Amino acid sequence: MLVSYSWLKDFIDLDQDPKDLAEKITRTGIEVAGVKHPEEGMKQLVVGHIIDCEPIAGTHLNLTHVDVGEDEPHQIVCGAPNVAAGEDVVVALPGARIAGNVKIKKSKLRGNESNGMICGLQEIGFPDNLVPEKYAKGIYVFPEDADVKPGQSAFAPLGMDDYIFDFDITPNRADTLSMEGSAYEVGAITDTPVKVEDITLKEDGPDWTKDFAVEVDPELAPKFYLRKISNVKIGDSPLWLQRRLWNAGIRPINNVVDVTNYIMLLTGQPMHSYDARAFKTNKLVVRKAEKNEKLTLLNNKKVDLDPNDIVITNGEEVVMMAGVMGGLNSEIEADTTDVLLESAIFDSTLIRKAALRHANRTEASSRYEKGVNWDATTRALDMAAMLLRNDASGKINEGVITGSSEKRQPVQIKTTISYINKVLGTDISSTEIAAIFSRLNFKAEINNDELIVDVPARRWDVAIPADLVEEVGRLYGYDNIKSTQPVLAETHGGYSKKEEAIRRIKNIVQGQGLIEAISYSLTSLEKAIGFSQEPKKPVEVQMPLNSNRSTLRQNLMTGLVDAASYNMARKQNQLAIFEQGRVYDFENNTYNEHEHLAALYSGNVYFENWQNNNEKIDFFYVKGQLTNLFLALGINTDDVEYKAEVIMYMHPTRTAGIYIKNKYVGMIGMLDRPVTQSNKAMKDSEIYGYELNLDVIIPLILNPHTTAQTAPKFPAVERDLSILVDQEVTNQAVEDVIKENGGKYLHDLRIIDVYRGSHIAEDKKSFAYRLTFLNENDTLTDTIVNEAITSIDSSLEKQLKAEIR
Amino acid sequence: MDLFDRLKELREKGLDEIDKAKNEEKLNDVRVKLTGRKSELTTILHSMKDIDPSDRREVGQRVNKLRDLFNAKLDDAKNEIVAALVEEQLAKEKIDVTLPGREMHLGTKHPINIILDDLEKYFIGMGYKVVQGPEIETDHYCFEMMNLPKDHPARDMQETFYIDSEDLLRSQTSGDQARVLEKHDFAKGPLKMVGPGKVYRRDDDDATHSHQFMQMEGLVVDKNITMGDLKGTLELMAKHIFGQDRETRLRPSYFPFTEPSVEMDVSCFNCNGKGCSICKYTGWIEVLGAGMVHPNVLENAGVDANVYGGFAFGVGLDRFAILKYGIDDIRDFYTNDVRFLEQFSKEER
Ligand SMILES: [Zn+2]
Repeated sequence: MLVSYSWLKDFIDLDQDPKDLAEKITRTGIEVAGVKHPEEGMKQLVVGHIIDCEPIAGTHLNLTHVDVGEDEPHQIVCGAPNVAAGEDVVVALPGARIAGNVKIKKSKLRGNESNGMICGLQEIGFPDNLVPEKYAKGIYVFPEDADVKPGQSAFAPLGMDDYIFDFDITPNRADTLSMEGSAYEVGAITDTPVKVEDITLKEDGPDWTKDFAVEVDPELAPKFYLRKISNVKIGDSPLWLQRRLWNAGIRPINNVVDVTNYIMLLTGQPMHSYDARAFKTNKLVVRKAEKNEKLTLLNNKKVDLDPNDIVITNGEEVVMMAGVMGGLNSEIEADTTDVLLESAIFDSTLIRKAALRHANRTEASSRYEKGVNWDATTRALDMAAMLLRNDASGKINEGVITGSSEKRQPVQIKTTISYINKVLGTDISSTEIAAIFSRLNFKAEINNDELIVDVPARRWDVAIPADLVEEVGRLYGYDNIKSTQPVLAETHGGYSKKEEAIRRIKNIVQGQGLIEAISYSLTSLEKAIGFSQEPKKPVEVQMPLNSNRSTLRQNLMTGLVDAASYNMARKQNQLAIFEQGRVYDFENNTYNEHEHLAALYSGNVYFENWQNNNEKIDFFYVKGQLTNLFLALGINTDDVEYKAEVIMYMHPTRTAGIYIKNKYVGMIGMLDRPVTQSNKAMKDSEIYGYELNLDVIIPLILNPHTTAQTAPKFPAVERDLSILVDQEVTNQAVEDVIKENGGKYLHDLRIIDVYRGSHIAEDKKSFAYRLTFLNENDTLTDTIVNEAITSIDSSLEKQLKAEIR
Repeated sequence: MDLFDRLKELREKGLDEIDKAKNEEKLNDVRVKLTGRKSELTTILHSMKDIDPSDRREVGQRVNKLRDLFNAKLDDAKNEIVAALVEEQLAKEKIDVTLPGREMHLGTKHPINIILDDLEKYFIGMGYKVVQGPEIETDHYCFEMMNLPKDHPARDMQETFYIDSEDLLRSQTSGDQARVLEKHDFAKGPLKMVGPGKVYRRDDDDATHSHQFMQMEGLVVDKNITMGDLKGTLELMAKHIFGQDRETRLRPSYFPFTEPSVEMDVSCFNCNGKGCSICKYTGWIEVLGAGMVHPNVLENAGVDANVYGGFAFGVGLDRFAILKYGIDDIRDFYTNDVRFLEQFSKEER
């Protein structure tokens, strides 16, 4: 809502600096997003009277002489099509500054000296949408009622000397979507009395109510009033009214439409004017639209009406989408003589939905959806009628037709002074509280601690004691409330066990040199279900912004792959990134969220270095990192198993499922070539990664507890074992046999070499292991170790057909 | 030859030989020759009985003295040789310490999580529990319980991703408030919680809008919580995050779940309140919304609003990070450019 400072002065005595006032309003009531002073940056714009105007032969230009209040008229060349002798216009004198910081100088055009410029409104800063249509392509001409004199500043007559506050109104304070509402608010803030105009209507036309019928469904329109004004003469509105519309951001149209807009700005009550010729049926009906009904709106938009739209009809055809916008078929036109004026309240939800449905939000609909003052309906109607009589010389027909007139129970709130102080943490006296309600123009009665407040209908946002707390608090001043800390029984703060575990995990991987990424949870359906053995039922949103953000991810890897693609396209090929976050699915008839961790690696372990000492990231580097993570989390590596598995988008022979204590916890591997090769930036890279389901892992690592053990006192014995096995025998299979048969002193087992090649048979490979034996209580004898080795050897030979070397 | 002359001669020759031995091996030979079992000095000592008894004592003393001298000189020589060897070795091992070391990526936290962790730790220290709620939330918890019944105009302010008629991607973390209020046993003490997490809105992504971002909700409920407590809590938090020299102000605002509702501004970091393009020439930057918990929210969760009351606040973590680090495009948080992310490694707390 744009609120004019000079218009505010109609209601309150104000002499404050507008910027200071804006700050005060912001702190106490409504956020003022800005204060605009239209003349700012411009100078030497005066009113000029065109004495004569002759076309310059062979051009589209005119040579004018303009009285600008100086001894001699100025000769000015003007190219506007609507320039003519006798007009009062805006003249930028030589030395003037107009919009866009343009300086006006004396010049010569086709040999004719030009001492200034006659201006159009756009040239002096009016936005296109405020310029009256007839001046859109030419200079501005003051109307006859303007009462301007040559040489006077043009700023005041055009309202450019005003200050305009941009009220950023929250949905609850729609009462300030009017000048009167704003005045009450500013009056309360500045502790200044508010004068609101009260009018007495003089009806001077014949009674019309007997010849016209109105049918209203009060569910749709709890209040509905209609007046008739006859014999209007359509023309321009007086300049003072146009000025107010301009500064409120509304384009003047004609003296009838402008009046309805003006009254809406003044009172907050949306008004509508119909050409009475649209009601030859002498009937007006308010109802819901029927299927297949259509309407062409005033903005020429053709609308297929919805059965939930409220419409106004003449009994035969729809003439308006109620509360939103009128139809072309009932528009006020240049030859309109009789006008029907409507002042009504429509159901706010239906209006909001209609405006939304037809993408046609208007000043009226936005007021209806936020609520309007139930006390203003008939008063607004009468004020509009009076203005039409004054501005359009119409006659007000006798009588108002009331279609509906529902009542609202006045709001009375009972509370206590002590409650207000308790919530605010203040010690405001009852006298002070009484003063605050008097500033608000609320009737307040105080008996000792008891407080009874009658809330005026114009403040329909105030309904419960907490609302009164807010009124008192803000007007007392939030600045004046002392800052304190809650005094209450001790509470033990902290994370949940699960959150604590997640933080532990994140710290470890971050310590491994990984950079944390955050990706979007919404991705494409295709990506959402990838990187899994078996996709679960995906969760899709109903109205996605686009197909790339339609489905909640079931894996984090897809976000990291997107990040890799982005980085590698920018030559960042060495990557070590991770993400911790949730994945989502619909299983067992419910929506599920799981905490995951994923990491992605590409390039080398180190940055390029002068020693050429580097290691390419491969499966086993990443697996090593993962092993370290498990160790740091206290997971026994013997409980972790890797099984070659096929996982969507992962390399079919370089990928493993990870199992801890036989539970599937995630996967590790290389991105499949079709995934990387289809991407220009990634096509030459081998990219590895892992993804873990932390929901499965966290229960295994809760309550880590270390019982300290002394370091072994007796020496360990190391033996190396080298075997030849068939290609398909896995390390895991060999290790299982060794562990099973190594006896109780086998302390550690580590593979130290894998070989396949020319020195051994083609279908064979060789493994070398280092076995460490340790007896914590005694020195180990060779005999014991040899026994263990013999048992291992023979089992390997028997079970895996291994050849011991 | 006189034995004393012989000893003199031995001494001169011996010292000369020690001097000439330039490596450990030669020095060893010299040691054997001069002081070993078959050395002349040993021989002399062993043949003492052949010496004139009046000279024996004198000879014995001289021989021992000479042997001590040889040993001392041999030790010195050996030390010198070893020192030279060490020197030589060190010279060989010399490196250019100005050459760079092998580097790898530094692990870093995402800037939003730096802010989040900082805030969480701050509030944990003040006795708040960190509570996490579901991101796929029901209309019931996200809206109805938070005093936003169906058709409430304020629902227009937040375009929401619905999954079906009842389930949605939460557009605010406020639902966590309702869930915790429902469960909390006030007989066991006051409620103090913060609830961080991702939220989603149907906004097209641009420099200032993101369809996904992070919020943190705060809630304190007990019998005597005041607006002054809210003001004090918010001021301390703002100073903790944005610096002790920031000024703050509260201004009236509107949220369906609080009454009174306020927004907090901090004085502009850029212009210190004088007015600049960052603060849109107001001198203030909006950082969060807050208020006293609306009685309906308490009652909806089964808490007696006549006895209990409290305050709630919600901060946008993306916004905090944007303001704190001077980031001008919110999308930078989600494209995960490592060059952008790595710069925050020094911000770790
Ligand atoms: Zn600033």
